[in-house]
Amino acid sequence: MDSALIPKGVKRCPLWQFALFIGAVSAVLGWGVYAMLLCWFKGLNQTNMNDYYGFALWIWADLAVIAIGGGAFFTGLLKYIFGKDDLKNIINYAVLIGFICYSSALLILAIDIGQPLRGWFIFWHANVHSMLTEVAFCLTCYFGVLTIEYIPLILENRQIDRVPFFHHLSHNMHEIMAVFAATGAFLSFFHQGSLGGVAGVLFGRPFAFREGLLVWPWTFFLFTWSAAACGPCFTILVTKITEAVTRKKLVKDNAIELLAKISGWMILTYIIAKTIDTWYWAKVLAPSKGLTMMDFYSNNPLYGIWILITEIVICGFVPAFILITKKGRKNSLALWIAVTLAVVGVCLNRWVMVLQVLAIPVMTFDIWAMYFPSWQEIATTILPVAYGIILIALSYRYLPVFPNEAELNPLEPLPVEDQEPSELLGDQERELIPAEA
Amino acid sequence: MGKEQKGPKTKRFGMVIDLDKCTGCGSCMVACMAENNVPFRKDESNKFLSLTWLRIYKLTNGKPFPDTDICYLPRPCMHCEGHGGHSPCVSVCPAVATDYSDETGIVSQIYTRCFGCRYCMASCPYHARYFNWWDPVWPDGMEKYLSPNVSPRMRGVVEKCSFCYHRYQLAKERIFIEGRSEVEEDEYQTSCAQACPARAITFGDLNNPKHAVYKKKKSPNGFRLLERLGTNPKIYYVSSREWVRRAGDNYLKGEGKLKESVQHG
Amino acid sequence: MKIDRRCFLSFVIGGAAGTTLSPLPWKLMDDSSIWTQMWPWTPVPEDGEISYVDSACSLCSGGCGITVRKIEERAVKIEGMKDHPVNDGGICPLGLSGLQLLYGPRRVKHPLKKVGDRGSGKWAKISWDSAIAEIVKILGKLRSNNQSHTVGLISGSDRGTVPSLFRRFLTVYGSPNLMRTPSLQDSYEIVLNLMHGGQALPGFDFENADFILSFGSGIIDGWGSPVRMIRANSIWRNTGAKVIQIDPRLSNTAAKSDKWFPINPGTEAALALGLSHVIIKEDLYHSDFVDNYSVGFGEWKSLLREDYPPEKVAKITGIDELTIVDLARKFARASKPIAICGRGRGNTPGSLNEFMAVHALNALVGNINKTGGVWVVADPDYIDWTEPKLDAKAVSGMQKERLDGAGSKTYPFTRYSLNRLPAVISSGETYPLQALFVSGANPLYTMSDTMAVREAFAKIPFIVSFSSYMNETSQLADFILPNHTCLERYEDIPTPFGFPRPVIGLSRPVVEPQFNTAHVGDVIIKMAKEMGGSIAGAFPWDNYEACLKETLGDRWDTLIKKGFWSDSRFKAPSWNGSFDTPSGKFEFANNTKGFLPQFKPVGIEGDETLYPLILIPYDLTRLANSFIGAPPFVIKTLEDTVIKANDVFIEINPETAKALRLREGQYALLSTPKGQARVKVHWFEGILPGVIAMPTGLGHLGNDEFLDGKGVNYNQLVGPVEDPGTGLDKAWGIRAKLAKA
Repeated sequence: MDSALIPKGVKRCPLWQFALFIGAVSAVLGWGVYAMLLCWFKGLNQTNMNDYYGFALWIWADLAVIAIGGGAFFTGLLKYIFGKDDLKNIINYAVLIGFICYSSALLILAIDIGQPLRGWFIFWHANVHSMLTEVAFCLTCYFGVLTIEYIPLILENRQIDRVPFFHHLSHNMHEIMAVFAATGAFLSFFHQGSLGGVAGVLFGRPFAFREGLLVWPWTFFLFTWSAAACGPCFTILVTKITEAVTRKKLVKDNAIELLAKISGWMILTYIIAKTIDTWYWAKVLAPSKGLTMMDFYSNNPLYGIWILITEIVICGFVPAFILITKKGRKNSLALWIAVTLAVVGVCLNRWVMVLQVLAIPVMTFDIWAMYFPSWQEIATTILPVAYGIILIALSYRYLPVFPNEAELNPLEPLPVEDQEPSELLGDQERELIPAEA
Repeated sequence: MGKEQKGPKTKRFGMVIDLDKCTGCGSCMVACMAENNVPFRKDESNKFLSLTWLRIYKLTNGKPFPDTDICYLPRPCMHCEGHGGHSPCVSVCPAVATDYSDETGIVSQIYTRCFGCRYCMASCPYHARYFNWWDPVWPDGMEKYLSPNVSPRMRGVVEKCSFCYHRYQLAKERIFIEGRSEVEEDEYQTSCAQACPARAITFGDLNNPKHAVYKKKKSPNGFRLLERLGTNPKIYYVSSREWVRRAGDNYLKGEGKLKESVQHG
Repeated sequence: MKIDRRCFLSFVIGGAAGTTLSPLPWKLMDDSSIWTQMWPWTPVPEDGEISYVDSACSLCSGGCGITVRKIEERAVKIEGMKDHPVNDGGICPLGLSGLQLLYGPRRVKHPLKKVGDRGSGKWAKISWDSAIAEIVKILGKLRSNNQSHTVGLISGSDRGTVPSLFRRFLTVYGSPNLMRTPSLQDSYEIVLNLMHGGQALPGFDFENADFILSFGSGIIDGWGSPVRMIRANSIWRNTGAKVIQIDPRLSNTAAKSDKWFPINPGTEAALALGLSHVIIKEDLYHSDFVDNYSVGFGEWKSLLREDYPPEKVAKITGIDELTIVDLARKFARASKPIAICGRGRGNTPGSLNEFMAVHALNALVGNINKTGGVWVVADPDYIDWTEPKLDAKAVSGMQKERLDGAGSKTYPFTRYSLNRLPAVISSGETYPLQALFVSGANPLYTMSDTMAVREAFAKIPFIVSFSSYMNETSQLADFILPNHTCLERYEDIPTPFGFPRPVIGLSRPVVEPQFNTAHVGDVIIKMAKEMGGSIAGAFPWDNYEACLKETLGDRWDTLIKKGFWSDSRFKAPSWNGSFDTPSGKFEFANNTKGFLPQFKPVGIEGDETLYPLILIPYDLTRLANSFIGAPPFVIKTLEDTVIKANDVFIEINPETAKALRLREGQYALLSTPKGQARVKVHWFEGILPGVIAMPTGLGHLGNDEFLDGKGVNYNQLVGPVEDPGTGLDKAWGIRAKLAKA
């Protein structure tokens, strides 16, 4: 029925099957929207946040999706600025994933603030000293950039492309894409960094506070670096999941391997920097405030030293070493493990830098604050996942997201791929992170 | 209010709280809530959700019976000065909804400007900031006691102790009408200091040698909460008990013994 | 259509600029910021002219002066009155929350008549005239049947004009049954009556004392006049006066004291006697006072020498010998030592022996009638109305014995013994109570063994409550005739307990009555007038205000102007001729009257094997526990180790808890011989092992949604233990057990 919309030379499942799948995911989406409306109309009392946990699941989700959405800017940077042309086969998808991540982040922020109707105060009454202002500006601008990067892909839809106006628009936009890629990379550097700065400047919270360079604490650079390192891993992971679900090879190995290799080196350098940072903090910074490292990791039911070991060793050095070795990259299972660990690692880092910061008592007579999200928080956090799946499904079905697809999957007598909706539902990679506190 | 603002020097309003006198009676908490239209709910036992601009903490020395000891510590907003007004919360607010006044040293909160991002709460190690998780509701008829000097807050914004700033404004209006230039010490007192039956709270201008706080803050038994973080708070505490003074900040083992020698002033 | 780069760019820029320059986004943004600042459901308090009214607080018997800030006709804040002799600007959490009571949901807004079953909470509004007419009819009927003595009154106080009007009404009506809410005042009155002579309150000159020895008194937990006591405590910090707290639990008072001695609960009298023993043995007592101004010393001394040597006392009290000797020396060597008792806030009268033993310490060191010491304070005699004329029915009614037995041969020195009433009613041995009036009291909450009280009260055919607020007692009443609150009415506030000088405060209408309420004084006068005859004749005043003005005489102007009146000429009595005892001296003991301060173990209810623990109450200034329940602000100040959601915590020593395998925060079933309750466990190092403690003032029902159902009423779990000499309740706790729930 919708065959006119489907890109040429590729095969898609029957419409009913597609509709069923979208319907199932939409149900989840609807649940999230319901929770979102509850939060907007009844207020944030719908959450389990409290005065100790002013930031919680949502802000973590925000930081996490922005970190893993970092694949878009970094891949763009590599392709358009550093001329890694092999990446052209994955750049569309990277942009799409980035677009989803960033639009989700903005949506979550709009739910998270107590007075959503006043959200624009952050621009209008901006405090230039606040890291959050920097985040808001760069985030919004970069989202604009991602939109501009995503639009040409939409315009390439078979039917839209027929309209000369859109065709030309698309062409023009493609031509200036390098400018946007550069802008995107610049903006990303700052908002990824300032998200790190959000925690790093909190000199009242010795767990988060770091010294730094000029106005930026070290976490600023660590966040940018880790996003650049782990973002591409998420792009690879989603690509792999999409390939598994569609049972097609969609991106050539050279693109994936190149991205994986660069990512591996980035993770390795990042994790070394992170180790040094942690060591300095534990040995010098925290003791100067009268605290030992173990003060931050004991006397509570959750936050033990395991969390640091997991983050740095298991989700840092391990994926780094897998990805920098050719053998590791080429081994499908190892690649899966490495990118997954890297994504988990960066998400765990964001969790720690948001929630553990707030859990720790600073006044000697204060207590550890534990928190478990309400269903409304969980639903609104799953909402963007459902939305992302839908957008990916739609884009995949109707837009030429993967330039190599037709080439890699010639339209010969081919067994009809049947997509099990339930299978597709399972690809919520974020659930791998322990969302428990 | 034009000319009198050219005072001789800037003011730094602050408090000295004598923990030897504080009985933990709770008057300061209620005085604050009554003065500032702080709402209440049916269940206020979850202290992570209970709006108490001034909260009394119960400190224990951790020793077993019968060597146990208790001390109460009232904690208003510390009105941190940081370095040059760089208090933990003011610098992080993205919308300038909270500000450090160089004229008074008071950290303000503009409820109509705040959009509820709660970054300031994350930045405050004292938990002095509170979020309006609910719309404030007063039982039918009880809204009659609301004071027009402090606007009731709406859902979704952060609020905190203001050192009863409206009282300062009223005092300034009064001296302007009377043609005086200085607000006297007793003309501007916070609600908590005024109510305290033990007179444990002394409030005034820390810069003004004529004010009681000026001398009291220098007590050898004095300390401030979490000084080591560099928050530079304007609430001073006094306690003759060493364990209480030590509870004011984090110390590594063997650290911070210096203060012991000046005990019992 | 061909689009080149230029066209494309102008399209994009033009579109963006066009939208931005249109008024739409700006208008929307501006509107949104305005909407979000003034939601219609967020109240905007009306501004207006500020004024201040001086008045007096009567939410407890502390007698503090208050200054109420008003905006036009609204009261917006209660503050402590500056320069008031009692509180000088200070104020307690309950007083500060007064406006929540004034404007709160707990108010009874209209005279109510019960419809349907008692306690069903079904009421019909009734006019004042018909309510009074109906009550007068019932009173008239009882009186004509010679049953006037079967009418009783429970009052929170017996001093001041309103209780005096009540007393006058009952007298001319013909009933001796005026009963006051029990407190330490009952015991102290008897102690002073026996040892100093006369009818008066004790005055403690704490502000000038330098050594305070407290036998469990919650000096800063609400004992006496709470704000004054906290002020005194601060004065001691300045002067260096020492405070010693004897207490099984690390109360706030104990924590603020210079030294806390945990004692086996109920053995305080033994310690006091042990101290006396040492003081006498070491010749540290004030020989001038003892030799020349006291009697009964010799007799008492021999008792002390025999029965209370430190080694024996140490065994009883759990406080070691050396400490006892040391404490005795310190007390005796201090220049202004004061010993006080009355546990916690002093809600229970306690054992007479204990009070005498403690007060004897003051006499032993001669700190009686001296600056920094203890003396008697008689109320200013402004209520000197002409003796009423009693008709025959009144005379015969007044000759009947009181229901509670106070003043009888068994309890000759006791003035009131309300705690005996439930048992008397239930036994039916004397005469039945046909009608009960309740004013300024909430016996169904404050009296121990609440269930028994409820059962007994259910037998009273007719109950009238004058409470301004819904509470446990008014819920059971047949009529509620709501009094104005203290912010809506005139009333004299007499000298608070323990204050060393006579002082009168004046409650005055700060705001117009908010609801259809009436001054209880006016209601009494009206009832009297409707009763007619000699009853009406005893009430010559048009209304209460006229009565009050006339009664106060020239003090009225001072009260209106200053807000309080105090006797500037008052001086502490001297040793010479100030004792109103048979001997004219201070009496340590008196054979004829049959008293000799000694320690008789106060057994508490419960079998030790069945109930291995001891439950004691503790009082908090952050929790009202008298006839008025805590308003929302006060509840809000409670720590989450006192109450969490609706669960109350009992404090238990971790050692005891471990033995019982009870973790912090765990639910437990608390049982006593009187009842059971589901509680939570709070490990507290500051409590004697084997003892558990529960806060008082919780577990209300039928007040308002902010108070009801929170925690458990301690009084439900404990019963009275009668002091044989006085009939007063001397229970200090009850045996209990805890089991996992």
